Amino acid sequence: MEKQNGNGKVGAVLVVGGGIGGIQAALDLAESGYYVYLLEKSPSIGGVMAQLDKTFPTNDCSMCILSPKLVEAGRHLNIQLITNAELEEVSGEEGNFRVKILKKPRYVDIDKCTGCGLCAQSDLTSLKEKEEELWVDRIVVDEASCIQCGECTEACLEENKENHAMTNTALERRRFIELPPEQRGEREPETLAQKVALMDEESRKNFWQSELSRCIKCFGCRDACPVWIYDGAELEDPDWIKPGEIPPAVPLFQIIRAYRIANLCVNCGMCEEACPMDIPLRTIHQLMWRQSPESVFEVIPGLDRKTKQKLIKKVKENPMVKVETAR
Amino acid sequence: MNCDFVLTVCPFCGCGCQLYLEVMDGELTGVLPCKTDEMSEGKPCIKGRNAADFISHPDRLKSPLVKRKGKFEPASWEEALDIVGSQLSKIKQKYGPDSIGILSSAKCTNEENFLLMKFARAVIGTNNVDHCARLCHASTVVGLVKAFGSGAMTNSVPEIEGADCVFVIGSNTMEQHPLISLRVLRAKERGAKLIVADPRRTPLVDFADIYLQHKPGTDVALINGLMHVIVRDGLEDKKFIRERTEGFEELEKKIKEYPPEKVSRVTGVDAADLEKAARFYGEAEKASILYAMGITQHTTGTENVLSVANLAMLTGNVGRESTGVNPLRGQNNVQGACDMGALPDVYSGYQRVNDKEARARFEKAWGVALPQKPGLTVTEMTDAAIDGSLKAMYIMGENPALSDPDINHLKKALGSLDFLVVQDIFLSEAAQFAHVVLPACSFAEKEGTFTATDRRVQRVRKAIEPIGDSKPDWIIVSELARRMGGTQFNYTSPGEIMKEIASLTPSYAGISYERLDNGKVLAWPCPSQEHPGTRFLHSNVFTRGRGQFFAIDYKEPAELPDKEYPFLLTTGRLMFQYHTGTMTRRIPALERELPTGFVEINRKDAKKLSISQGERIRVKSRRGEIEIQAFVTDGILPGVVFIPFHFAECAANVLTSRNVDPEAKIPEFKVCAVKIYKDDKHG
Repeated sequence: MEKQNGNGKVGAVLVVGGGIGGIQAALDLAESGYYVYLLEKSPSIGGVMAQLDKTFPTNDCSMCILSPKLVEAGRHLNIQLITNAELEEVSGEEGNFRVKILKKPRYVDIDKCTGCGLCAQSDLTSLKEKEEELWVDRIVVDEASCIQCGECTEACLEENKENHAMTNTALERRRFIELPPEQRGEREPETLAQKVALMDEESRKNFWQSELSRCIKCFGCRDACPVWIYDGAELEDPDWIKPGEIPPAVPLFQIIRAYRIANLCVNCGMCEEACPMDIPLRTIHQLMWRQSPESVFEVIPGLDRKTKQKLIKKVKENPMVKVETAR
Repeated sequence: MNCDFVLTVCPFCGCGCQLYLEVMDGELTGVLPCKTDEMSEGKPCIKGRNAADFISHPDRLKSPLVKRKGKFEPASWEEALDIVGSQLSKIKQKYGPDSIGILSSAKCTNEENFLLMKFARAVIGTNNVDHCARLCHASTVVGLVKAFGSGAMTNSVPEIEGADCVFVIGSNTMEQHPLISLRVLRAKERGAKLIVADPRRTPLVDFADIYLQHKPGTDVALINGLMHVIVRDGLEDKKFIRERTEGFEELEKKIKEYPPEKVSRVTGVDAADLEKAARFYGEAEKASILYAMGITQHTTGTENVLSVANLAMLTGNVGRESTGVNPLRGQNNVQGACDMGALPDVYSGYQRVNDKEARARFEKAWGVALPQKPGLTVTEMTDAAIDGSLKAMYIMGENPALSDPDINHLKKALGSLDFLVVQDIFLSEAAQFAHVVLPACSFAEKEGTFTATDRRVQRVRKAIEPIGDSKPDWIIVSELARRMGGTQFNYTSPGEIMKEIASLTPSYAGISYERLDNGKVLAWPCPSQEHPGTRFLHSNVFTRGRGQFFAIDYKEPAELPDKEYPFLLTTGRLMFQYHTGTMTRRIPALERELPTGFVEINRKDAKKLSISQGERIRVKSRRGEIEIQAFVTDGILPGVVFIPFHFAECAANVLTSRNVDPEAKIPEFKVCAVKIYKDDKHG
């Protein structure tokens, strides 16, 4: 914001908020010769108006008003969009402000992205795609829910081998677990799922042993699960799980539960949210995400071979869960 | 189709988790967790998740019952209330008001407890009103009032997360208060030290840094030993002791007599563990004590509580965030029932009946003269019924025939009453003895408030219409009071009763339905409409001024094992059942988990008596005997056995003793002597 013009005023303007108001202001200013920075918190401009059908009082179609402006703002040479960013502090005085902006990572190179949307189709849990926000840079990896499954980067590679739009960070994040230890370098695992995945079997067994022995058998994880369809299962069968015992057989109780939904799980995390003892149940499913149901036994070790075989046999009787097919 | 979600409070333990009741076309279909609730965070335990299942049970009482020729016959409300009114009036006239005893309920709302208390004092004219707090935290109320001036949990539950050391003594927190143990585990994850002291290996022990398995009834010795080490190593908070407390000199002298070696001999705890625990507790910046029945249900209950208070004050762990002395109350509204004055010696807000000013205030409000002599407690009422001085009882929502000690004695007492009224939602064991049974409403069918263990007052809301002909307790009590000449019982809603409570109770003065309905979390004391409620007590000054230390000597429990009765019996609750099981035993999901009781016995003892896992054995005490299946375990000390008290068919309270704490009158549920034998050789 240091572009000076003749009258001594600072000639760049920051517009905070990329809704219809912000866009119009930016366009007007840009047209009158100022250089405009249009700052928007969400991954793309458009705001609430993009979500509306009609506008008051004329009943005009709101997208018909908005979309030409979106295009104009995006292409205007005097407007620079700063999306997915937030204003942190403002200093200075009228006519000469300095601002500090926090730009959040997108994990997508918007110059390369063609907006094909295949990445989002591949994995709906980690990519934010708002249907109503029609703009090229609409894809962003939501860190909070990204499970590093890597599906999105693969989809992107398939579509455009030369010009991979998912940034290297996204690729690295997803590949971290799969890297051999010598290539991981100094980096530490970030998420609990990564940490657990990198444990050797003995410490993983101890980890789950201590986490799962918190269980107070409230059945919250099962009751909250949207894909739990199998009823009258082993969890309530005294031959499998002794009634009235706290904690219930570790790790059998959770293995049965996880195994039952192994290839139905959508990783919504309701099980973990419902757990009154804060057991990281979602991590189990994150680790199982791309593997066969049998991987449950590697993810949560500690079950003897005989019980494993018995469980596999029992589950095979239930047509809802296909044991043979790996994801 | 009409679907509704009603925000209310879980009717089981004292955690006070808010839940949504799911109502479809006027019928209860289930429970939804409430994610914005501070206590449960949308993660209720198994009891909360199934809380709706007993409400529409076919066993629900649907019309008043009157006993004629030994059989219950349905009657109309008019008829039943007429009988109750005329009988109670007759007995009052003939034998005086003190021949009537009233049991209030920790399951009912604050408003109903207040109303029943008012009914007892203003209409009947007796202070003989008590409830089951007598059996759980009476010693807390007495003890903490003596030490601090206020007999409630000093800190709120979410604060526990911030503690640097959590000392759990005599509480099976993981099973009885799962949402509180979540906070303990979170504190532990943050790096806090966890000390668990319990004769029985509870699930929380697996997470403890130190586990002190002391013999039942040796709590005073154990705590004195801890204090000895703390003072010896100079870990006490001298500034706090100097500025905020009194009576430290005597305590200092007393705990000198409890070196770790001696304590180790008395309690059976390793001296090194004791020293380590004392150091953990003493060195922590913020240390919190959680305790429950293991401390209170002893003949030395009050002294145990005072010892716990000593320990907290010695290290300056009172009156700050994440510290304190935290008695975990067992019932959803046992705190509220105590606050409402359903106790023989106090009005609401712990205003003493023999305090002239307090009495004058209530007399003025109610327009009648009130009795000034403190009344009988639950345990004394039983004795009075047997010796004939108590002629009638009115029991609201309680089942003493399973929860009180020495049931055979109690049943004899109930049987010898001239007139017994039981007001309940199911035909409980106690109701079998009643002359008239009045069907009441469950928590889902009425409005009101519950007070959770950390003094949080929360709204209970009506989800469905009363089942059958049942009526909310507050309507029944006020109709009965009007029949017996009570003039000020014309309430149209519980909200009006709350207004009266607020006007007469300083600690509840700022609590109203409007504020609660606006989503305010109000923990008493809340003295004015603007007051935000109190998260932790005693922040700058103790309620009584200065904290009082008490020098306490270890005393043995009243009945210890001997040659004839070689085992020590301790009783308690389990995760999947709740108290006398009137509600939980009608919930299929819970009943499936735990259909009947068992006696926990150490592997070595079992071997000696050649008892195998699951075998049916007989347990006998001086008061009675039961048949029960054995559960052989390493989790209990040799020479000690444990029986849960939920189950009528093998009721632990047939065996327990009537020895009570001299001050709090709480029975010693945790220690009595029993013998164990197999059926084939009577012996």
